[in-house]
Amino acid sequence: MREIYSPNGLGLHRQIYFIFALLILLLFIFGLTAESFGQDSYPNRPITIVAPFPPGGVADLTARPVAAAMEKVLKNPVVVVNKTGAAGAVGMSYVANSKADGYNLLMALSSISIIPEADKLFDRKPAYTMDQLIPIALISADPTIFVVNADRPWKNVKEFVEDAKRRPGEISYSSSGVYGTLHMAMEMLSHSAGINLKHVPYAGAGPALTAILGGHVDTLASGPAVIIPHIKAGKLRPLAGWGAKRVASLPEVPTFKELGYDIEFYIWAGLFAPRGTPAPVMQKVRESVKQSVNTPEFKSAMEKLETPIAYMDAPEFEKFWHKDAKMLADAIKRIGKIEIPEAK
Amino acid sequence: MVETLHNLYIGFAVALSPNVLLYAFVGCVIGTLVGVLPGVGPLAGISLLLPASFGLDATSAIVLLAGIYYGAMYGGSTTSILMRIPGEAASVMTCIDGYEMTRKGRAGAALAVAAVGSYVAGTVSVVALMLLAPPLASFALRFGPPEYFALLLLGLLMLAYMSGGSILKSLAMATLGLLLGMIGIDPMTGFFRFSYGLMELGDGIGVVPVAVGLFGLSEILLTAGQPTPPEVKKPRLRELLPTREEWRASLWPIGRGTVLGFLIGIIPGSAHIISSFVSYAVERRLSKHPERFGQGAIEGVAGPESANNSATSGAFVPMLALGVPSGPIPAVMIAAMMVHGISPGPLLIAQQPELFWGFIASMYVGNVVLLILNLPLVGIFVNVLKVPYPLLYPSILIFCVLGVYAVNGSIVDVGIMTVMGALGYVLRKFDFETAPVVLGLILAPMMEMSFRQSLSMSSGSYHIFVNRPIALVMLVVGLALLVLSLAPWLMKTLDWRQRFGLASGQEK
Repeated sequence: MREIYSPNGLGLHRQIYFIFALLILLLFIFGLTAESFGQDSYPNRPITIVAPFPPGGVADLTARPVAAAMEKVLKNPVVVVNKTGAAGAVGMSYVANSKADGYNLLMALSSISIIPEADKLFDRKPAYTMDQLIPIALISADPTIFVVNADRPWKNVKEFVEDAKRRPGEISYSSSGVYGTLHMAMEMLSHSAGINLKHVPYAGAGPALTAILGGHVDTLASGPAVIIPHIKAGKLRPLAGWGAKRVASLPEVPTFKELGYDIEFYIWAGLFAPRGTPAPVMQKVRESVKQSVNTPEFKSAMEKLETPIAYMDAPEFEKFWHKDAKMLADAIKRIGKIEIPEAK
Repeated sequence: MVETLHNLYIGFAVALSPNVLLYAFVGCVIGTLVGVLPGVGPLAGISLLLPASFGLDATSAIVLLAGIYYGAMYGGSTTSILMRIPGEAASVMTCIDGYEMTRKGRAGAALAVAAVGSYVAGTVSVVALMLLAPPLASFALRFGPPEYFALLLLGLLMLAYMSGGSILKSLAMATLGLLLGMIGIDPMTGFFRFSYGLMELGDGIGVVPVAVGLFGLSEILLTAGQPTPPEVKKPRLRELLPTREEWRASLWPIGRGTVLGFLIGIIPGSAHIISSFVSYAVERRLSKHPERFGQGAIEGVAGPESANNSATSGAFVPMLALGVPSGPIPAVMIAAMMVHGISPGPLLIAQQPELFWGFIASMYVGNVVLLILNLPLVGIFVNVLKVPYPLLYPSILIFCVLGVYAVNGSIVDVGIMTVMGALGYVLRKFDFETAPVVLGLILAPMMEMSFRQSLSMSSGSYHIFVNRPIALVMLVVGLALLVLSLAPWLMKTLDWRQRFGLASGQEK
C-alpha cells in the first residue's frame, strides 16, 4: 500500500492513466471510422468464416484456402475463426444466430444436418435449425473409404459381410464419436448389408484411426487423405468406397454401389450464410466463391490436402444438401437412442 | 549407429541453415510468450500460428510449430513460480513449490532450475526420440482403451501419495474434480449432462479456466484479504542462481522426470498432462523429507518441469514414426504437414529424411536457444516482483481474463474461471489442496471414455482389464501403491485401537 504513494508509484500511476486514455481515444477513432464507412457497399470490413472445428480439421483446412482465395477476389480481408465445441454445434449456432449481413459465414461439414436430428431425438431445445442457414456453395466432397486392419482375414466386402453374419455384434469399428459422420457411414453399411457390428466411439477421427492401427478395433470408415499413407505402408486394407465413383488415388478399390449396396456417403464441406442475408450480398459472395475455387492457388492447396474439389453453386448445392440431410436423418432414426448393454 | 550419425549430420545441416534456424528461434520465442501468458496454452498458440506457417516450406513450418510447443513448456513455469498462475495445464504442479520458493526469496533459483531441468529433459528426450522412435511407437500403439484406463487409474491412485495433508481431504478434492469432469456430452450416447442449457458446457469444463481460477485468482483474492501486503523477499542478483545444495537436490528429480515424462508422453491420448503430477508424486515419495513439499522444495519444481518437457518429445514419437495423431497438438502438426503435401505415415522417416532429421536436429538447437533465452530472462522476470501489489495484481487479473477468453473465444470460460477463483479461495481458507481438483478434472473424461470403450470392446465383460497383460500389470502396481499408502494409516488405527483396548482394560 505504501508504494503507491511514493513518488515512483505515482509516476507509474500517471503513466498507466495516460496509456488508458490513449487506448480509449484510439478505440473511439476506430469506432467512428468503422461507423462512417459502414454505409458503403459490401464488403467494407473483414469477413469472418467460422470453422466450427479445431484447426487442422477438415473444416479448418478447407476454410483457410477458400478464405485466402476470396480475399484476393474481393480485395477485402477474409478471416477464419475457429469456434469449437459440442461437436460443432457451438460454431454452427453462432453463425445461424448472427447478423445476416454477409460478414459471418460458416464452413460446415455434413454434420450440420446431423445435429438438429440428434437434438430432436433427445427432445432437446435445438442449437439451431437447418432453415436458419442458407447454402452458398459446396467446396469439397470426399467419399469415405471402408478399411480393415491388415491383420484381419477379410480380403473383400463379400468375405467381410459373410463373417459378420456368422458372428453378429462381434466385429468392431471405431468412429469419430456417436452420431458423428463416421458412425453414420458405418450405420448405412450395416443397415444395407443386414449385419450387426460393434461400435466403439472415439473423440475424433484421429483417435479412431489410432485405434484401428493399434488393432483395438477391426474396421473403420474414413476419409481417403488420412488413411492412404497407412494403406501404402500395408497397415490397413481398403475394401470399398462410399462414393458414386472410385477414388482417383485408390483405383483398384470398388464402390459399394458396384458391389450391389445402394449406399452413398461423403464427408463434404460447404459454405453457408445466415438466412435473411440480402440477395445482392449473397450474389456477390457466391460469385467470389466461384472465382476463388478456380484460382490455381486454391487448386494446388486442395491437391496437397488430397481433397478433391467438388464445387457446386447454391441452387445445385441446396438440392444435394437436402438429399444428404434426408439420408442422414433416416440413419439417425434407425440408430435411435443408444442403449448401453448391461455389464456382465 | 553410423547411419544414425550420418543422418544426424544431414539433419544439422538442415537445422543450422539460416532459414530454419531463424524459424526455430521465432518458434521458441513465441512458445515462451505463449507459455508465460496465463490461459493461452501451446495448443492455442500453435493453432493461431498454423495459418501463418502455410507460406513456409514444410521443414520450416514444422520446426516453427514444434518450437512453440516445447517453448511453451519452458515459459509455462515462469508465471507458476512468480505468481502461482499456471501458464498452461502442465505447470499446475510447479505452482505449489515454485511459488513457495518465490516467497522465500528463491524465485531466481526456481526459475533457473526449471530452465535447466527443461533443457536436460528436452535434449535427452530428443536423443531417445531419435534412437527409439520406431520400436517405441509400435509399443505405444498397443495402448488401447483398457491399457489407457489402467494407466489413468494408476495416475489417480498416485493421489494418495501426492497428498500433503489429510488423505481424506485430497480424495474429497479429487472426487470434486472427477464430478466436474462429468459435465458435458456423454461420449457413448450423445446425451448432454449437467449442461443446464449452456451449449458451451457440451464439451465439458476446460482445464485451463479451472487451473487459472483455482490457483491464480484464489491467490489474488487471498492476498487482497490480508491486512498488510505479504512480504515477498526481493532476490538480490547473486541469489538468482541455485546454490550447490539446490543443484544437488535437483539432479535426480530432473533425471527421473525426464524418463517418466518421455514414457508417458509416447502414449497416444492426452495423458502427457499427468506426467508432471506423477513426477511430483514420485519425488515426494522418494524424498527423505516429504514434509518439505508444499513449503518450497526445489525437487517439486525440478521433477515436474523436466517431466512436462520430455513428454512433449515423447508425444512426437507416434506422430513421426507412424503418422498417428497421438494428441491434439500432434494432430495440428500433422495437418500442417498435409498442407505442405507431406503425408505423415509409417513411411515418413524413409521418404522425408530431411524433414525428420532436420526436425530432430532443430530440437537440439531449439533447446539450446531456449536455455540461452531463458536464463537471462530469469533476472528480468524476477523484477516483476518489484511492481507494487496494487498495480501488479489487477494487471495479472486482466491477463488471466484475456488469456482464458482467448483460448476458445468463450465468455463461459471466463465465468468458470471466476467461479473457480471464488471456490479456490474458500477451499484454501479451509486448508484444502486444490491440485487434486485439477487432476480429477483432467482424468475424468479420459477415464470415462476409456472405461466405457473397453466395455464396448468386450461387450460388457470386465475381464478385458485383466486379460490384457499391460493393463493387468498397471492395475496390480496401482493396487500395490494403494495398499502401501494406506498401510501406515491402517497400522496407526490398529495401534490406537490396541492402546484404547489396553487402557479400557486397565480401567476395569
